[in-house]
Amino acid sequence: MAKPYTKQELMIITVARQINDGDNCLLGIGLPTIAGAIAKHTKAPGARLMMESGIVDFDPLVPPMHVADACCTEGYAYAIDLFGMFTSITHCGFLDKAVLGVAQIDRFGNLNSSYKQTVDGEPERLTGAGGAPEFISYAKETILTLKGGEFVEKLPYLSSPGYFGGNEEREKTGRYPKGSGPSILISPDAMFKFDKDTKELYLFALAPGVSLDRVKSRIPWDLKVAEKLESFPVPTDEELTFLRRFSPRSCFSSVVAGELSVNAAIKRIADREAFLGKCREANSALGG
Amino acid sequence: MGRRDSSKVMTTTEAVQQFVHDGDTLIIGNYTESSPLALIFEVMRQKKKRMTLYSQSGNMDAELLVGGNCIDRMFSAFIHKWGGRSGGSMVARYQQSGKLEVEDYTNFTYSAMLAAGASGFSCLPVLPAIMDTDVFKKRSFMGDKKFGVITCPFTGKETPMVPAANPDICLVHVQRADKFGNAQHWGGLGSTVHACLASKKIIVSCEEIVDHEVIRSSPHHTIIPDFRVNAVVEEPWGAHPMDLPGYYSSDLNMLGTFSYYNAMDTGLANWTKEWVYDLPDRTSYLQHYIETYGNQMLERYRAKPYYSAPTNYGIANRSLWDGEGKSTGLNIDFETLEKLIIERGDLVNG
Repeated sequence: MAKPYTKQELMIITVARQINDGDNCLLGIGLPTIAGAIAKHTKAPGARLMMESGIVDFDPLVPPMHVADACCTEGYAYAIDLFGMFTSITHCGFLDKAVLGVAQIDRFGNLNSSYKQTVDGEPERLTGAGGAPEFISYAKETILTLKGGEFVEKLPYLSSPGYFGGNEEREKTGRYPKGSGPSILISPDAMFKFDKDTKELYLFALAPGVSLDRVKSRIPWDLKVAEKLESFPVPTDEELTFLRRFSPRSCFSSVVAGELSVNAAIKRIADREAFLGKCREANSALGG
Repeated sequence: MGRRDSSKVMTTTEAVQQFVHDGDTLIIGNYTESSPLALIFEVMRQKKKRMTLYSQSGNMDAELLVGGNCIDRMFSAFIHKWGGRSGGSMVARYQQSGKLEVEDYTNFTYSAMLAAGASGFSCLPVLPAIMDTDVFKKRSFMGDKKFGVITCPFTGKETPMVPAANPDICLVHVQRADKFGNAQHWGGLGSTVHACLASKKIIVSCEEIVDHEVIRSSPHHTIIPDFRVNAVVEEPWGAHPMDLPGYYSSDLNMLGTFSYYNAMDTGLANWTKEWVYDLPDRTSYLQHYIETYGNQMLERYRAKPYYSAPTNYGIANRSLWDGEGKSTGLNIDFETLEKLIIERGDLVNG
């Protein structure tokens, strides 16, 4: 009997399955690095994982907090700088896959991570473009993950090029490698691909227990759906065990993970207070 | 480029007094990993004003300097939202209220401006896809000078360009340096080398000042040569609560507190009063940390060793004279050489 698993675990492992042995694979921070670690420790030990700070061919031991995290420097094969990461590796065609998180996406896979629009139409800062624009432009293929992000009809700001208005628009600019661009979008509820002709995003798989209506309710246009829907993969025990050891909090929703972390912090502080109390008692017993 | 006979070692207070000025263009040399926080705290304490900031990772560096009212304008590629999705960041709040102008680049185009500056070029080509984005089209204080487009003289293709950046002063925190300023850094390299070399002046803070011989035996780690450095300060835990390979990882306890305060509009002011303005230097900052959280808390984040394999830079012969005092090429001793010079040399004074 296989282990029971959560919705969050299923999403991360589904992303991990996109990474193949031998891939040169750039990981964005957050979920992509966790998925990369699972792949490296299960089906893709020969994948060269990399982050844009120039930490290339590394083996994540703990989840990094940022793309140059000191926790990722224990054992990696190639130290290049950010400029070389984008030019010699990415622009020169040596990046097989980029795995990137999404803040806002439109129906043709264009992304915004720079400015949102408030209800009053004012620009509201998101994180900024970071490295996504050049990775999605020049990686041979881009895997997108959408956890806290959203689908929008019209992006208030285009940070990273998808397929623009669809059809051959991306290819016609002459600025992108043939076949590049987002290939798949994975969310906790569903998976999407991009139509090979129109380049419009369409649903092709639903997560267990998720209805089509639920997915459609979060998409502000009439979503195209594949004729025959596929299922999500079934995580192996090996993948689940690795994930649980690598990043225990990633198995829960962010609300539950937050609650568990806060409780642990409170307990730590209480333990310390108790310890200090004992020290004070011992001190006063000694007349100090 | 200056004689190497005097030490550039000074205190953080002196370095900032001497080399950071109101109105300067200031760049943070580190990219996401590590941060020259001991130097940044001092810039805030000295209340430097009206500066333009280059901050690629928009981390604690940007939050503190912007919240400390040191910055009017900023070049940015990314902003960490310390207050979470709803709490935002000081940078976002100052920008929203019009107190801060921000020019947005991508990580690569930001890095390319520094590569141009570090190479002595006036501009540099960048990857063409940028032309299709709003990063290229929407412009703040750089206006027409944010990006340019030229026609490649060889392919005829339209090529976007960025202007060179040459900030007045760079603050950088590294693992080790010698007293002359040879600075060594390892780990995620980011744009650190270009940020330093593009700058007119550089203040290096380091965990340890080491002998010049240590530098000479490991030149592959030297990212800035001494002749480019203006001041060297030794600040153990100088990037705390951020991380530095081989020394410490991110202090999640302290970063959590910073994040918690920062989620409130007025919050950061309370944090900076306690941790920056009410303390004179990094030593008292560490003391205050240990008094508040205990030494064990700090020790939790200290790195365990993982040494790089020793690198053999050895050579076959350190001299053209062998152990018996004979020239390896002429097979004669020194005395015979000098005799031969008299006999066979084109003498000019004998």
